[in-house]
Amino acid sequence: MSARVRLVAGPDGPALALDLVDRERELLSSLLGQLAELLSDGDDDPAVRRLLPDGYRDDAEAAAEFRRYTRSGLVDHKTGAAEAVVEALRGEGRILLSPAEAERWLPTLTDLRLVLAERLGIRREEDQGEGIVADVYEWLGLLQAGLVAVLDELPLDAVREPGS
Amino acid sequence: MTTVTTDARPGGDLLVDSREEQRPATPWVTLVWNDPVNLMSYVARVFRSYFGYAPEEAERLMLLVHHEGRAVVATGAREEMERHTEAMHEYGLWATVQRADA
Repeated sequence: MSARVRLVAGPDGPALALDLVDRERELLSSLLGQLAELLSDGDDDPAVRRLLPDGYRDDAEAAAEFRRYTRSGLVDHKTGAAEAVVEALRGEGRILLSPAEAERWLPTLTDLRLVLAERLGIRREEDQGEGIVADVYEWLGLLQAGLVAVLDELPLDAVREPGS
Repeated sequence: MTTVTTDARPGGDLLVDSREEQRPATPWVTLVWNDPVNLMSYVARVFRSYFGYAPEEAERLMLLVHHEGRAVVATGAREEMERHTEAMHEYGLWATVQRADA
C-alpha cells in the first residue's frame, strides 16, 4: 500500500489529490464505520478512553466534571469528521480535497491510528506491532504524513474555512 | 463634637485585608503529553493552526513534548484552558488542565 498525495490546481484553487486504489478506499471506509461504532458504544474500551481522555490528571473529581461537559460534544465532533471522510471516499477515481477538507481529515486519521495502536499494544515509540493491522497502521501514518507535508507548503490562510 | 454620618468612612476600609482579592488569580495551564502514535509533523501543525504559533515556536513546543514528555502550550483562565484541552482532544492529542503552580 502506498499513500500518494499531490498538490494540484483544483477548480477553486489549490487542491490535494489522493490516489487510492479501490481496496484502500474500502478499507478506510470500513475502519471509519468501526470508529463511529466504537465511539457510540465503547465506553469501557481502552481505545475509547484514549480517544476521549481525562482532562485532569490528578484530580478525579475535576476529570469527571470535564468529561460530563465535553464527552458528547467530542463524540459528535469525531463522528461527524469520520462521516465527512467516508463521504469523500464515495465515488471512483482520484479524490480531490480542498486544503480545508484535507485539514479536517488529519484528526480522523489520528483517531484511527490511536485505536489501532491500542490494539497493537503500541506503548512506546519503538513499538511497531506486526501483521496486517500493523501494515494498516503504517499506511495511515504515511497518508497523514503526506497530507501534512502538502498542507505545510500552503499558507495557513488557505486552509481556513470560507468566511471564518 | 462628633457627627455620625452614613457616608463612606474617610479612611476607607483600611483594616480590611484586601490582598487576597487584589492578587491576580493563579493562572492555569494546558499541558500536552507525549504519545507514541502522533506524528511529529502533525503535532507541530496542530500547534500552528489551532494556537496560531509561528512555525518555529510550534516546532519548539512539539520537540519539548517529544523529548520532555509534555509541554505547556497555553496559560490563562481555567475555562479557557479547558476549551483548549477539549480542542486538543478533538485533534487526538492528549492534553490536561492544571494550576500553573501545581
